[in-house]
Amino acid sequence: MMLTCCRRSTFLLNREGLRLGFRCASSASSAAEPADTVFALSSGQGRCGVAVVRVSGPAAAGALRSVAGLSCGLPAPRTALLRSIVHPQSKEVLDRGLVLWFPGPHSFTGEDIAEFHIHGGPAVITGVLQALGSLPGLRPAEAGEFTRRAFHAGKLDLTEVEGLGDLIHAETEAQRRQALRQMAGDLGRLYNGWSEQLKRCLAHVEAFIDFSEGDLIEDGVLNQVDIAVPQLQMEIEKHLCDERKGERLRSGVQVVIAGSTNAGKSSLFNILCQRPAAIVSSIAGTTRDVVETSLDIGGFPVLLSDTAGLRDTGDCVEREGVRRARQMVELADLTLVLVDSMQLPQEPQMVSGFLSEYLKNVLPSAKDHEQRCVLILNKSDLLPKEHISMIQNILTQTSDMAPVSILSCHSREGLDSFLTLLQDRLKTLCGDPLAGSPSLTQTRHRAHLQKCVDALNQYYQYRDIDLALAAEGLRLGLSSLGRITGKVGAEDILDVIFRDFCIGK
Amino acid sequence: MSLLRRLLVQHHFLSNCSARAASSVARQKYDVIVVGGGHAGTEAAAAATRTGAETLLITQKIETIGALSCNPSLGGVGKGQLVKEVDALDGLMGRAGDYAGVHFSILNRRKGPAVWGPRAQLDRGRYKEFIQSELLNMPRLTVIEGSVEGLLVSTADPERPGKHRVTGVRLADGSNEILSSSVVLTTGTFLSGSLFMGKTTSPGGRMGEPPSCAGLTHSLREILGLKLGRLKTGTPPRIVKETVDFSLAQLHLPDSRPTPFSFINTHTHCKPEEQIPCHLTYTTPGVDRVVRESLHMNSHIQQDTKGPRYCPSIESRVLRFPGRQHQVWLEPEGLNSDLLYPQGLSMTMPPEMQLRLIREIPALQRADIRTPGYGVQYDFVCPTQLFPWLQLKSVQGLFLAGQINGTTGYEEAAAQGLWAGVNAGRTALSLPPLSLSRTESYIGVLIDDLVGHGVTEPYRMFTSRAEFRTSLRPDNADLRLTPKGFEEIGCVSSHRYLEAVRVRQGLSEALSALQSVTLSPSRWREKLRDICISETKSTLISGEEMLQYKDVSFNMVASAFPEILSPHVEFSERIKIEAVYRPHCEKQQREMERMREEESLSLPPDIDYFSLPVSLSDEVREILDKARPSTLGAATRLQGVTPAAIVHLLNYVTRTGRRSRAQRETDRRTKIPDWKHRPQTDQQVESNQNQEVGIVLQN
Repeated sequence: MMLTCCRRSTFLLNREGLRLGFRCASSASSAAEPADTVFALSSGQGRCGVAVVRVSGPAAAGALRSVAGLSCGLPAPRTALLRSIVHPQSKEVLDRGLVLWFPGPHSFTGEDIAEFHIHGGPAVITGVLQALGSLPGLRPAEAGEFTRRAFHAGKLDLTEVEGLGDLIHAETEAQRRQALRQMAGDLGRLYNGWSEQLKRCLAHVEAFIDFSEGDLIEDGVLNQVDIAVPQLQMEIEKHLCDERKGERLRSGVQVVIAGSTNAGKSSLFNILCQRPAAIVSSIAGTTRDVVETSLDIGGFPVLLSDTAGLRDTGDCVEREGVRRARQMVELADLTLVLVDSMQLPQEPQMVSGFLSEYLKNVLPSAKDHEQRCVLILNKSDLLPKEHISMIQNILTQTSDMAPVSILSCHSREGLDSFLTLLQDRLKTLCGDPLAGSPSLTQTRHRAHLQKCVDALNQYYQYRDIDLALAAEGLRLGLSSLGRITGKVGAEDILDVIFRDFCIGK
Repeated sequence: MSLLRRLLVQHHFLSNCSARAASSVARQKYDVIVVGGGHAGTEAAAAATRTGAETLLITQKIETIGALSCNPSLGGVGKGQLVKEVDALDGLMGRAGDYAGVHFSILNRRKGPAVWGPRAQLDRGRYKEFIQSELLNMPRLTVIEGSVEGLLVSTADPERPGKHRVTGVRLADGSNEILSSSVVLTTGTFLSGSLFMGKTTSPGGRMGEPPSCAGLTHSLREILGLKLGRLKTGTPPRIVKETVDFSLAQLHLPDSRPTPFSFINTHTHCKPEEQIPCHLTYTTPGVDRVVRESLHMNSHIQQDTKGPRYCPSIESRVLRFPGRQHQVWLEPEGLNSDLLYPQGLSMTMPPEMQLRLIREIPALQRADIRTPGYGVQYDFVCPTQLFPWLQLKSVQGLFLAGQINGTTGYEEAAAQGLWAGVNAGRTALSLPPLSLSRTESYIGVLIDDLVGHGVTEPYRMFTSRAEFRTSLRPDNADLRLTPKGFEEIGCVSSHRYLEAVRVRQGLSEALSALQSVTLSPSRWREKLRDICISETKSTLISGEEMLQYKDVSFNMVASAFPEILSPHVEFSERIKIEAVYRPHCEKQQREMERMREEESLSLPPDIDYFSLPVSLSDEVREILDKARPSTLGAATRLQGVTPAAIVHLLNYVTRTGRRSRAQRETDRRTKIPDWKHRPQTDQQVESNQNQEVGIVLQN
């Protein structure tokens, strides 16, 4: 009895303690908690003059130093400084802009904050966000996270929160619409597909954990998971590697004109840059070196190269030119393969075989001709009209052939349809920068996908040691994917379990 | 005086006197009244008593207190975690299991300690015996037989949220009224319960017992205006053991070293060699045939009331997954029982068809049925109407626990019972109610799921429901809950508390010792021959890191450093688990912090979301109004609640929270004298005096 009463009086003390404790905790927690560092585009989206990227958290100072190339010390607090913004790994210069340093607690969130005021083009923003995302300890901010941090640090007047709530609303609304737009497309189908697959894997592991003893769930269910998880991981990794669109947009698409001598490569080059940049003559082997120029084609930055005609030659200068041409083709995002129409076989049936051979010669290592090149049959003005339409017929019936454009650099016939084709190819290669904001979402997607891949590793690591920890890997992976496709809860998993298994216990 | 009365009452029970006599000497006012003597009711009564409340347990029959009305087993995967947590909070269930168990095994032994499922087959008689002897000898607890006809309800205390206030219960016969400010209802399947067998239906919650009165359902539905739903469940026929041919079934042996459920037991009551086996057999195509032929005679299976997806009747299993062999476990009902419980054969067809069905199974081809299986349909109270401390939001002082909240299973019932009992006791003693977080316990997950999302089928615990499964392990339930149970909740005895503190200290010393011993990989390779340590590893490896290797046990590491590590050998198994999980649990810490922070911000229960002067969309207002989350954390887990809405709510909560804290402060100052001048029974005078003594002693 006595003991109970002593205990009861401790309650009262504790209640007091708790209440006080809470008050302290709420103000101290955000400072004491080893918070991660978050970054986001803080200004509006789309094309604009200046964009502000904000980094908040303990790693903000490090991020500022490595991205603004400040090896010795930070800038004076709250003072603008003009710097080159550099990718920390590739050292590539992304932009020149103002950087600002707001050491905590005198900042918006109460944490250390670095701000980058950069040019507002999507390519620059994507570049800077990806550079920040590549730094350890940094992750893209969740919707409203800056405000939430500011609020927890007691930095916001409560009346200000109303306004900020609306701001977040606008922001998340925009994100939601954008996510919806993307989710409706191929990318959405891809991510949702992965999410479904992973959900199924997890459900099978969870079923094995929660039900296998005394139920008819055999070890076999794990074998399926063992096959599905690495496949999924490989697919996501491949997707992460292939996803160079942002980079292309930033540095320009490498487009190379290649083909045999005297096919009219330099003529096409000059037409595209709208000035006589390369020397044109009827003499085979006129172009001996790589001639480069940067262009804007339909809003896409293009790095266009004219190369030496590909042929075996005794001339050592020309031989070097051919070697360089072949190297350029290797590195190209898109190759425009020029063919002299006069060289085509007379028999229309043999045209496609000839072109295949020709392509193999120009692009020996490429397997996906359809994606990597456009075939251009030049000098169409020298062919009779009937012959051209016969060739066109044959080619539309041939599968696995690169897209073909028949034109004449001389008469400029067919040039418009070629330009449309070229723009389509560029659009596929870069993504459409005007649809939504690829900058923000792609960086977020990339971070979550990378996290998912890392989490799936935990599955193999623990598969045979501790299934609870292995399942934890799948759970983490799924929650990373869930941040792109929408959350996945325990009930979803249980639904799959009950759909797939007869649980008797 | 009251002590004498209590002794008298207990004496009556111990000498098996008529319980009716007990009720006539029972006082007419208690701190807490618990209605129902099942797993929820017994834990509720015991927990309320432990918090210091004078408690009355009313049950239809004292003889059935602690009865295992369905399967004779306890624990399992997910459920075992709940048993460990109930035990860590000083509940009865774990110790009762250790006393009554006749076949102990840890399920999922190969799958990692976080998902181990401690489980036991029980002797029904022993289980009841243990629970009854605990309850009937518990100070401050009175047990009477009776049937509750209705609740006494008055207008709400305007200072607190709610529309009504419970003031006691009315017994069925003799219009006997007993007063209390806290009432816990644990009526199981008896709320408008109907029993189904074949085409016949009869009112009742359990075969062989009187149906509970309609009055209670009336009180809940009509007077209190609560939203009720309907669920169904079932139980298999009991089979005469000597008519079973065990040679046609697979033998399943228990663990050779039984592991007790309770943290304060070092061994089970049943000796390892005295344990009895289970048997496993399978259904045949003949079983499918009987199910299909009897469908037209089976009204339970034709109803569309929701039954569980994971514990389906044999009828549902055959209909959903035809042409398969389904498992049937033949479980002993006790050491000396002549009955078997066929787990997996719950059925509601007419008795003659039941006999035909079981005889389609080779091991049961000559088996006899002692009591046929039957189905139950019953009302439950939609649990979204509850606070996380299991009190109804609209009725001050009325707590619900167990199947009445839409759950299934002994362990789920006991966990809620314990928590409802704790809070009923605290409320009666004018202490603030408490809730458990999802981040610290399966009990927290269970209650948060119930009050946050409601149920669409009988709710059962699975490990997959716990986000922080790797931290909420069966092995560490004592560390998670026992100190808190003593220091904050007030439901744990000092004996258990001191043991938990000793273990915590011991584990932390053992961990430090392990961290202090380091060797190069090559030296470890010499010491532990069969362990393959990556050749590329060049840094020193600590003892703790070595334990993270698959086949390395504490004893192996200790053999390398006997003088430093052998003092810690008592904790060898637990420290191995700690070492493996610690890095993962640390990774979860931040996410857990965030959840706790959001859970600590409570939303007022009587908040009017439609008129709330903050910027919220109508859609969000509707969601919040419907779900009525009690914390900001619960609000974030609701589908459709946007981040912006959370910021607005956060703003609102912080603003009003400050105001209401100040309000409470003034209230408390003015209230204390009030409370002291309240008319008191001699019992309360006694306890108040003691409380003062307690404070003096502490000073």
